[in-house]
Amino acid sequence: MNDTEIIEKAKALLGDKALEFSHPALRRIFLKVDPNDLLKAVEVLKKDLGFAYLATVSGLDVGESFEIIYHFANAFSQLNLRTQVPKANPHVESICPVIPGAILYERELQDMFGLVVDHIPDPRPLVLPDGWPAGNYPLRKDWKYERPPEKIPGEKS
Amino acid sequence: MKFTVPIGPQHPALKEPISLRMTLEGEVIRDADIRLGYNHRGLEKLAEEKTWLQNIYVTERICGICSHSHATCYTQGVEKLMEIEPPKRGIYLRFLVAELERVHSHLLWLGVAGHEAGFDTFFMYTWRDREVVMDILEMVSGNRVHYAINTLGGVRRDIDDLQKKKILDSLAILRRRTEFYLKIGANEPSFVARIAGVGRLSKEDALALCAVGPTARASDIAQDVRKDDPYGMYAEVPFEVGTATTCDVLGRVVVRVKELMQSYNIIEFLLKNLPDGPVAVRAPRRAKPNEVVSRYEAPRGENIHYIRSNGTDKPERLKVRAPTLANYPATVVMLRNGFIADIPLIFAAIDPCICCAERTVTLVDGRSGQENVVLMSELRRRAQERWKKAPPKKDAVWPF
Repeated sequence: MNDTEIIEKAKALLGDKALEFSHPALRRIFLKVDPNDLLKAVEVLKKDLGFAYLATVSGLDVGESFEIIYHFANAFSQLNLRTQVPKANPHVESICPVIPGAILYERELQDMFGLVVDHIPDPRPLVLPDGWPAGNYPLRKDWKYERPPEKIPGEKS
Repeated sequence: MKFTVPIGPQHPALKEPISLRMTLEGEVIRDADIRLGYNHRGLEKLAEEKTWLQNIYVTERICGICSHSHATCYTQGVEKLMEIEPPKRGIYLRFLVAELERVHSHLLWLGVAGHEAGFDTFFMYTWRDREVVMDILEMVSGNRVHYAINTLGGVRRDIDDLQKKKILDSLAILRRRTEFYLKIGANEPSFVARIAGVGRLSKEDALALCAVGPTARASDIAQDVRKDDPYGMYAEVPFEVGTATTCDVLGRVVVRVKELMQSYNIIEFLLKNLPDGPVAVRAPRRAKPNEVVSRYEAPRGENIHYIRSNGTDKPERLKVRAPTLANYPATVVMLRNGFIADIPLIFAAIDPCICCAERTVTLVDGRSGQENVVLMSELRRRAQERWKKAPPKKDAVWPF
């Protein structure tokens, strides 16, 4: 199964759910869907096209919205499923019911971008420490790290 | 009566300090919970503030053992963004170092596996032989750990005929030694019996939990980026993907020994067919707005970088997924229904080298809530004791 066949089949299966296809290089397919169709699209990719292996989930801050890219791969090709959610209401559906291995990547998204992954089986923070102040999402573009002033014990004030 | 056993998180020898909380019933693990983030360095944020060239050295420092794999994954992605093609000799040298790194990583892992199984002779042998490949790496790149051989558009150093001959001579030694390891299982049935049936991960679980690398290949999934999605010159190199069907630690050992042999073949092929010419081309300072997904088969499994450029000399976003993260959900399944004495072995089998340090496990007594710090050596002693009591697994066979 080559890239063109995969794109044709995905177009036929997803119909108008698939908003945009691009094929920038050999074995690299990008596909855009609406966040409401995400779970359905992942299901089709897994069951009908054999993309059962999720490599990772990337989040991006693109101004007014967040872009989320699910990187899938199988033995023939590599497919990136893209979706966009507005920053004002950053909710995305969990894909763990279809792909259980996505759990760590979704937890990382919640930590780093402040996205809310609905129906996630385990919503605890993954990479940020326990005492991390709420509302600080490091990978948002407007977040800047400010080093707290250094205090030396016994220092003259 | 259930006990909870926390492992970690402070663990000086680990690349990724990790906290595991085991729920035990007697000696049997019923559930395991993972807590990460003790070594989160904010590297993806940092990368957005560094130039394309500086980021090679940032990504190289993600990992101490497979440093070359992250740097290569990043570099080949950025080269696509900048629309430059490195010269063929540069590509061959880049992946020569990549395969040498795989050899050193697998030899290191074999030693750790032998050590955790109570077979310290094997550990001494493999680590002695690992010095041979470390010497080659030092000769080729000038460094033993962070090779720093990659640059945008090729590699930074060339090799001459004398070095080529030295590598081939050393390779003969390594090949002879690895053939000896192939026979070790046949001569040492207690080693095979200790690792057979431990840390089971069925093919279905490995698929569902998106396991990668030797962990997936030991569960009979022939998944290798070098074969599925050939990058660099792998499309023209003959090699096979090593798999095993036993789905346990034995299978993971078998896969890595097979991969060692394949790596020697690849190194030999690369040296014998090394093209002439320059090793690098000049790279521009900026990259046009675009995005790229770069995949690389690191010694531990698939390494994936997603890079987006915005027209400046710095990346808009660099997303890194290291193979060990992908194997954590599978590790939880492997640990479940195993024995507490098998924790070091199972954990070592996905190759995060948790077992190098002392003082990792705190045993919490479920009845009194009292915590006892147990040294790794004590845990290992318990493992060996359990092994003495348990009957050897009769049907375990060394597959070579």
